[in-house]
Amino acid sequence: MERRTFVKSAGLLAGASFLNTTNVFAEDDAAGIIRIGVIGCGDRGKGIIQVLNQLPGKFKVIAVCDVLDFRLDETKKESKDANFTTYKDHRRLLDNKDVDAVVVAVPLNMHYAIAVDTLNANKHLYLEKTMTYDIPQALELVKLVKSKPKQVVQVGHQYRYSPLYYRVKEMINKGYLGDINQIDCRWDRNGNWRRPVPSPALERQINWRMYKQYSGGLMAELLSHQIDFINWAFDTHPQQIFATGGIDTFKDGRETFDNVQVMFRYEGQHSMVGNFGATCGNAHDGYLFKIKGTLGTISLLTDEGKFFPEKKLLSDKTLVDGVTGATRIVWNKEGGSPILPEKTKDGTWYAFNEFYKSVQNKTLPDSNVFTGARTAICVHSANAALYGKMPVTWKPEYDKL
Amino acid sequence: MRYPLAEVKRFEINGYAQGTTYKVTYYAADSIVTQQQTDSLLAAVDRSVSLYSPTSLITKFNHSAKGIIIDKTFMVLIKKAQEINRATGGLVDITVKPLVAAWGFGAKKVTEFPDSAKVREILKHVGPDKIWLSGNFLHKKDPQVQIDLNGIAQGYTADLLAELLEKHGIKNYVTEIGGELRIRGHKPDGEPFKIGIEAIDDNDINPSPLLKIIAPGDRAVTTSGNYRKHLQANGRQISHIIDPKTGYPTQKDIISVTVVAKDGITADGFDNGFVTMGLRQTLDFLSKNGNLAAYIIYKKANGAVADTATANFKTLEVK
Repeated sequence: MERRTFVKSAGLLAGASFLNTTNVFAEDDAAGIIRIGVIGCGDRGKGIIQVLNQLPGKFKVIAVCDVLDFRLDETKKESKDANFTTYKDHRRLLDNKDVDAVVVAVPLNMHYAIAVDTLNANKHLYLEKTMTYDIPQALELVKLVKSKPKQVVQVGHQYRYSPLYYRVKEMINKGYLGDINQIDCRWDRNGNWRRPVPSPALERQINWRMYKQYSGGLMAELLSHQIDFINWAFDTHPQQIFATGGIDTFKDGRETFDNVQVMFRYEGQHSMVGNFGATCGNAHDGYLFKIKGTLGTISLLTDEGKFFPEKKLLSDKTLVDGVTGATRIVWNKEGGSPILPEKTKDGTWYAFNEFYKSVQNKTLPDSNVFTGARTAICVHSANAALYGKMPVTWKPEYDKL
Repeated sequence: MRYPLAEVKRFEINGYAQGTTYKVTYYAADSIVTQQQTDSLLAAVDRSVSLYSPTSLITKFNHSAKGIIIDKTFMVLIKKAQEINRATGGLVDITVKPLVAAWGFGAKKVTEFPDSAKVREILKHVGPDKIWLSGNFLHKKDPQVQIDLNGIAQGYTADLLAELLEKHGIKNYVTEIGGELRIRGHKPDGEPFKIGIEAIDDNDINPSPLLKIIAPGDRAVTTSGNYRKHLQANGRQISHIIDPKTGYPTQKDIISVTVVAKDGITADGFDNGFVTMGLRQTLDFLSKNGNLAAYIIYKKANGAVADTATANFKTLEVK
C-alpha cells in the first residue's frame, strides 16, 4: 500500500493510533523516514535543508519550492546528492502526494496563507518563526490547527530545543535563581542586515525584512526567540508593553526600524521587567541573554551558558576559610560556572529531531501553535508600541489560547 | 607574642591558574605578597609541569625520545611521586598518562574506548621502572613513555604558595588551588582556620551545604573524587582515575576521599591512590600510617552512599 493513502485511511478509522501506523511502516523500506517539502529557499530554507541532510534516517527532502529561479539553482548546488523535485508554485508542491511534512521558510507576510494551504493539504507543518504576520492570523491559525488534530504543527523557535535552554528552564523552575526580576536581551550587529540583490527589480522580494508590508523587522526576526523562551520557561506573557526605536543608522529607504528597544512588564509568580533590544549600528554585545534573580544570573549564548551566583551568597561560605573538593572546572575568569559541560549543537538540529518524534508519536511539540501564537502576539504588540509610539496592554481574549 | 588586633589585616588574592581558580588568604600588617607574585609563581609551575602548555618541560619530556633535563619543581614532584608509588604498592603511578589519554580524560576527547588488546599494548609503556632520574636528567625507557603530574601538582602548588608567604614572614594563612589547601597559623583573635568539605552532589550551580567542617591546624587538605569528572559509556559512568596495574578505570567503591597530611604534595599524592585502592585497602593503609587522616565517602554494595573517617580525622572536626 502506498504510504500516503495508508495514513489517510488510518485517519478515518476511529481509534486507530498514528503510532501503530508508523510501526506497520517500520517493516517498509522507507520505514520511518519523513519525506519533506521545503517552501522558501532563502538562507533559512537552505540552512534547514543542510540540517535535514544530516539526519538521513529521519528525513528526506524530496521537494523544494521558491518563486526565484536562482534560489532553486543555489539549493540544488548545495545539496549535490539530493534528488528532489523543484517547484515555483507552492500549491503544486502541496499536490505532491509523497510529501509527508512541509517546512515553510518564506517572508513573514506569507506564513499564514501557506500554512493554511499546507494544513488543508493534510501535511505536517514546520513553520518558521514568527508564526504569523499579525495577531488575527495567529488566532485564526490556532483555530485551524485545533480542527486538524492528526497533523503536527511545530513553530521554528529552534533555540529553545537545545538541551542548554531546557536546563535553564529547569533551573528557573527549581528556584536556583531565586525571585527573578529582570531579563536583558540584545541581538545586535553592525551592518545593514541586507542580502545582495542580483537585480534591482528583486529588492523588495529579497530584502523583504526592510519593508513593513512583508516583515515585522528586528522584533519578529531576532528578538522573538528570546521573547518566546521567556514565555515558555515562565509560562507567562507580558501584561504591558512599552517601546521606542527608529531608523537611526541606515537611512537607505527601509521602513522597519534598525534600532529598537522594548520593555515588557510581566506579572505572576515572577513579576519581572523584560528588556529586549536590537540595533544594526553596534556589534559589541552581539547576542546577549541574561536572566537575573535574587540568587544569581544566567548568561546565555545560543550554544553555551554560565551561572553567576550573587556575590553575597558566595560570602556566606566565609564561615569557613576554605573549601576542599574535587577539582571544579572553571571556564572563565569572572567566576561563572558553565551550565552544561560542552557547547551544544545548532538549535535547528535539536528542533528537527523533536519534530521527528512529534510526527512519529503524534505528540504536541514544545514549540507549538499555541506558544507560537502567544509569541506572535508579543511581537506584534511590541511593533504596535514601536510604530504607534504608545504603550500596549495585553488583551484578555489572548489568554483563551 | 601576638600582634595587637588593630595592626593585623586580612588580605585575599584571587586568581586563575591550572584550569581552575586559586585563592590565597593571609593575615599581616600590610599587603606584603601581591597577586603579581602569586601569578608569576604559578606561571613558573606551568612552565615546568603543565600538560596544557605545549612548551612546558613536562610536554617536552613526553615528546622526547630518551628524556630531558628538568627543573627543581619537576624534580621534587618526581621524587615524591616515586616515593608514593612505592608506598601504595604501585597504585599511584605518574606514567599512567597514555592510559588516561586512551580513555578520553586527556587533552583530547576520544570517539571510542580502547579494547583489551589496546590496553595491553599501552600497559607495556606504563610502570615505575619506565622512568628514572640521574642528577637532573629524567630518563625514559622508550619514546612512548609519558607522565602526568596533575594528580599531585596542585597539592604541591598550594605548598609553593605557602612557601612564598613564609619567605615574606607571613605565618597565618590559607592557600588554595582547585580545592587543595595548605594551612598555617590562626586568625588574629586566636580562632583556628576552618575548612569545609564540599558535598558530593555534582551540582556546581546550586551546591548543597558543606558536609563537614574541620580545623586541620598547620597541615594540608586535599580531596580526590569520582563525582565531578566522568564520562558515560553504554549508560555506565567511567571514572577519570585509571588503575595503572589493570589499565582500566577504577571500579572501586570510593566516591570521594579527603586527606589531611603535613603538606599538600603528600596529601594530594595519596588521595587518587586511595580511590584506586578502594575502601577496605585504604582503611588498612591508613591504620598503618598515622600521619595521614582521611574522610571517605563511599558506595555500599547495596548502592547506598555512606561515609567514614579515621579516628585522627574525627579529632579535627568542629561540626
